[in-house]
Amino acid sequence: MSFFDTHLLNVVIYLPLVFAALVLALPASEHGQVRTITFVGMLLDLVFGVWAYFRFDPSGAEFQMEYRVPWFQQFGMSYHLGVDGLAVSLLLLTVFLGPLVVLASTTYIQHRIKEFHLALLVLQTTMLGALASMDVLLFYIFFEAMLIPMYLMVGVWGAEDRRMAAVKFFLYTLVGSLLMLVAIVAVYFISGGPGVRSFDYGTLYNNLLAANQQLAACSNGPEGACAGLTGLAATLHTYGPWMFAAFALAFAIKVPMWPVHTWLPDAHVQAPVAGSMILAGVMLKMGTYGFWRFAIPLFPVAAHAARPFLAVLAVIGIVYGALMCLAQRDIKKLIAYSSVSHLGYCMLGLLAVTGEGATGSAYQMLNHGISTGALFLLFGFLYERRHTRLMSDYGGIAKVMPVFTAAFVIITFSSVAVPGTNGFIGEFLVLMGTFKSTLPLGFGAFATLGVILGAAYMLWMVQKVFFGSITHRENQHLRDMNVREMLTTAPFIVLVAVMGLMPQPFLDRIAPSTDRYVARASVGAPGATQAKDDQLRVEVMSLPSTAAAARPSVPAAPLAVRE
Amino acid sequence: MNLPNLTLADFLPMLPAIIMVVAASVLLLSEVFLSATASRGYQAVLTVVAAVASGAVAVGLMFEPPQEVFLGFGVLDPFSSFLTLVVSVGLGLAALSAVGFLRKRGAERGEFYALMLFASAGMSLLAMSSEFITIFVNIEVLSIATYALTAYLRRGTRPSEAGFKYFILGAFSSAVLLYGTALLYGATGTTKLNDIAGPLQQALTTSPALVYVGAVLIAAGFAFKVAAVPFHMWTPDVYEGAPTPVTALMSAGVKAAAFASLVRVFVTVGKGMDPKLPLMLFATLALLTMVAGNLMAIPQRNVKRMLAYSSIAHAGYLLLGVAALFVAAPGEHFRLLSASSLSGGTPLDVARSDALRGILYYLLAYTFSAAGAFAMVSALERREDEEKGTAWDLERFAGLAQRRPGWAFAMAAFMLSLGGIPPTVGFMSKLLIFQAAIDVGLVGLTVVAVLSSAAGAYYYLRVVVYMFMHPVPEGAQPLERNWGTEAALVIATVAVVLLGILPGHVTDWLAQAGTLFGQ
Repeated sequence: MSFFDTHLLNVVIYLPLVFAALVLALPASEHGQVRTITFVGMLLDLVFGVWAYFRFDPSGAEFQMEYRVPWFQQFGMSYHLGVDGLAVSLLLLTVFLGPLVVLASTTYIQHRIKEFHLALLVLQTTMLGALASMDVLLFYIFFEAMLIPMYLMVGVWGAEDRRMAAVKFFLYTLVGSLLMLVAIVAVYFISGGPGVRSFDYGTLYNNLLAANQQLAACSNGPEGACAGLTGLAATLHTYGPWMFAAFALAFAIKVPMWPVHTWLPDAHVQAPVAGSMILAGVMLKMGTYGFWRFAIPLFPVAAHAARPFLAVLAVIGIVYGALMCLAQRDIKKLIAYSSVSHLGYCMLGLLAVTGEGATGSAYQMLNHGISTGALFLLFGFLYERRHTRLMSDYGGIAKVMPVFTAAFVIITFSSVAVPGTNGFIGEFLVLMGTFKSTLPLGFGAFATLGVILGAAYMLWMVQKVFFGSITHRENQHLRDMNVREMLTTAPFIVLVAVMGLMPQPFLDRIAPSTDRYVARASVGAPGATQAKDDQLRVEVMSLPSTAAAARPSVPAAPLAVRE
Repeated sequence: MNLPNLTLADFLPMLPAIIMVVAASVLLLSEVFLSATASRGYQAVLTVVAAVASGAVAVGLMFEPPQEVFLGFGVLDPFSSFLTLVVSVGLGLAALSAVGFLRKRGAERGEFYALMLFASAGMSLLAMSSEFITIFVNIEVLSIATYALTAYLRRGTRPSEAGFKYFILGAFSSAVLLYGTALLYGATGTTKLNDIAGPLQQALTTSPALVYVGAVLIAAGFAFKVAAVPFHMWTPDVYEGAPTPVTALMSAGVKAAAFASLVRVFVTVGKGMDPKLPLMLFATLALLTMVAGNLMAIPQRNVKRMLAYSSIAHAGYLLLGVAALFVAAPGEHFRLLSASSLSGGTPLDVARSDALRGILYYLLAYTFSAAGAFAMVSALERREDEEKGTAWDLERFAGLAQRRPGWAFAMAAFMLSLGGIPPTVGFMSKLLIFQAAIDVGLVGLTVVAVLSSAAGAYYYLRVVVYMFMHPVPEGAQPLERNWGTEAALVIATVAVVLLGILPGHVTDWLAQAGTLFGQ
């Protein structure tokens, strides 16, 4: 067992990569074997992921299952893994989607099957790696690397405009994250002198903490009180807003927040069903997760200053996304814009900086992964039968596909937050948190308007597609879901019900992380009750000393001159 | 007259260059005894063996203490040894990709490899040279060999056009460099870099114009050689016209050697003068080169030409690292502390030695990525298309992932590495340079660098789009395989991925070498 004590996260992360190597060794014509091996790999990864989820002790340390070894140490990096409650929940979501995505692609993907499954497995590794990274640069590497398989997935197996969508997706995300890279390196340098600084999340955060508290104290004071700051606090006062802006831009593009969301409808519409599921299910969460883990706790003062602005963007995203949905005729585009709206709730919950808001936001991240993932999945089944995305080409589907319709409606309920489904818990908590927060009442009000609009566009779409009379001859003989499709859908429906009726086991794991998030984000807020330092400080394992670390430094040898 | 007292120990540091020259001589001599139809397969093998041997010797020399050789005309230090390693890597990969290239054209001759070896010997020696005349001579050794290589394929108009253009502009830039050297000599009375700092400070009070004009002219001469904007005009045409393996050697080796010499000259000259001048000079060059190089590469449909512009852009990132070497605190006496960053010094000292290490790592990274990419280009081109200019069109990459998945994967790795996307070596090396630049405070310039590299990602990705997302064109000719290209691709791909994931080994090694720079 001792192997898994230290290596469980490594196993979860790299198992898909090992199976990718197996797939690579297979001949490309063995389609069945490629699919089977990928599925087995994802299933096995699910087993380990679930194990990790249950190993996580909500009453234990903040970061658990840590693993840390020296890696490129001279430049302040180490290979450091670890998960807190939110990360382990998102990790569970990722491994949960893995096997289902493979099942969803068995008939959808018909060419270049081996490459497709390779991309899926590599993508899984990069996403899990990003979630478990405790070193900021390691996170960045996984964060960037996950673009490559997703880019190929959209570009190779996508719909008609796939190349444009793939390049747009890649470049959009790249610009944001490159600026973040500059900010990461900059914050590393300001955080301490040689020997003190590190790219490790714990060290970085703890090094900045005192300065952030100092800065918060003076920025809540009278005008000009910050002029007397020295050292790190002064540096943060001057450059903190810029660095926060760089982090926020990178993650806002990923979320995506209005107005940098324009890559999303294209990527979602063009992506194959597996790509859409992963994109909506996991990759968008990297944005909110980034705000939660990095952008806001590292720069609480700048984040607090930018909070009204970001909250306005989040609310615009909620309402704008919903209005765009109402205007869509393309079903996939509608689901894509609904993501913009839903992720707006996640952002609003984060920015509320209340316990309810943060919990709701975290829960909503999981919910959105399940409900939107399932919507894309189900629409994929429909698309395989009819090869059209236009609502007007459907109508009366319920008559020929009753089981499918039932499943779709259940997921729709989850998406529009009907009580009893998981969506209700998340959205309710976010709204409650927003109303309780220091944000003006209007934010909550507009967000609630978004809920109503959300119900409107989803039900309107369901009505047009599934109910009424069959208006198209082609739709008269569509076959209902087969066993494979039912098996793929069932886990989603089970989770919708379980998470809606028994949220507590899930919330238990998120709770300690939310408390800490709220404490850390409140550092920048005026009049916040000062949380205890042991709540604020990040405790992580220290780097094991090694021969390389203990190596004596080499003195500068003078130039030997020979006569 | 006293004859200089040279011992065997003076020749040991030159061993890599000696190996290359001996191999070149063997190739030339053996060619005399061969009939026109004799098999010449051994020539590439011999070249690769020489490259491996000189690379291995260079690695061994990295752990020698820094020392003057040839009475101060050269310096053996880890900096020059690492550069020799980079040159050997470039030579080896270029020679491997030349195997199939020459065979397709029926142009296998010993001279080709001999010229490559001579050029590489010049590069290796240039990295060691610490005296202006020696620098000039070595620049000429490597340049003349590359002029000849550029025009090696005499059929058609392109090679001669490229060769002629390269020759005229190369000769012009050498003259500019020489003129600058002459001015500095006039001001200081010495051509040895190790003696110049003191006289230079005196000369700055008596005849500052001479010093500054001299320094600027020298910088301009080097800017030609490294293809920095606005001295880049020759690059696209020459890179496109030259035989592709030669282009690989030029983009990897010539650039690396020129950068090495530029750094060596200005670090010493900078000691004597206000480092603001080199800082301004290189920061401006870096800015122009990064932005213009990337922007001009975007519209290119010709992959070889695109890679030429990309090589300009990469010179820009390297110049950013060079500029970082010259950031000094107000009133600080400029010096380059080149010991490992573990051993103290002021924070700026540490940052500057990180920049130096970043430059070296970047050169190695670029050599693997670019030489690999050019090997791929040479594998795909056909002789018949060269005159039409479509030999390197993006269309030739269409559907490569279906025709040769391994090649497409390798090329994708090179493109991502050149674009600086993790987990490739291109990302790590960019990170090192950017990190050093931010550390010394060149944040604005670094932001420009990352934005321009985002623009750069567009044209690198386009190759990937064609390889993976476009269908195989109708009537595509079968792709020939040969051991040289395959070997070059495998080696470069493994290096690009491995050095990206485990960069620590090389950088630790650079740190272990202690003093990088022997001054």
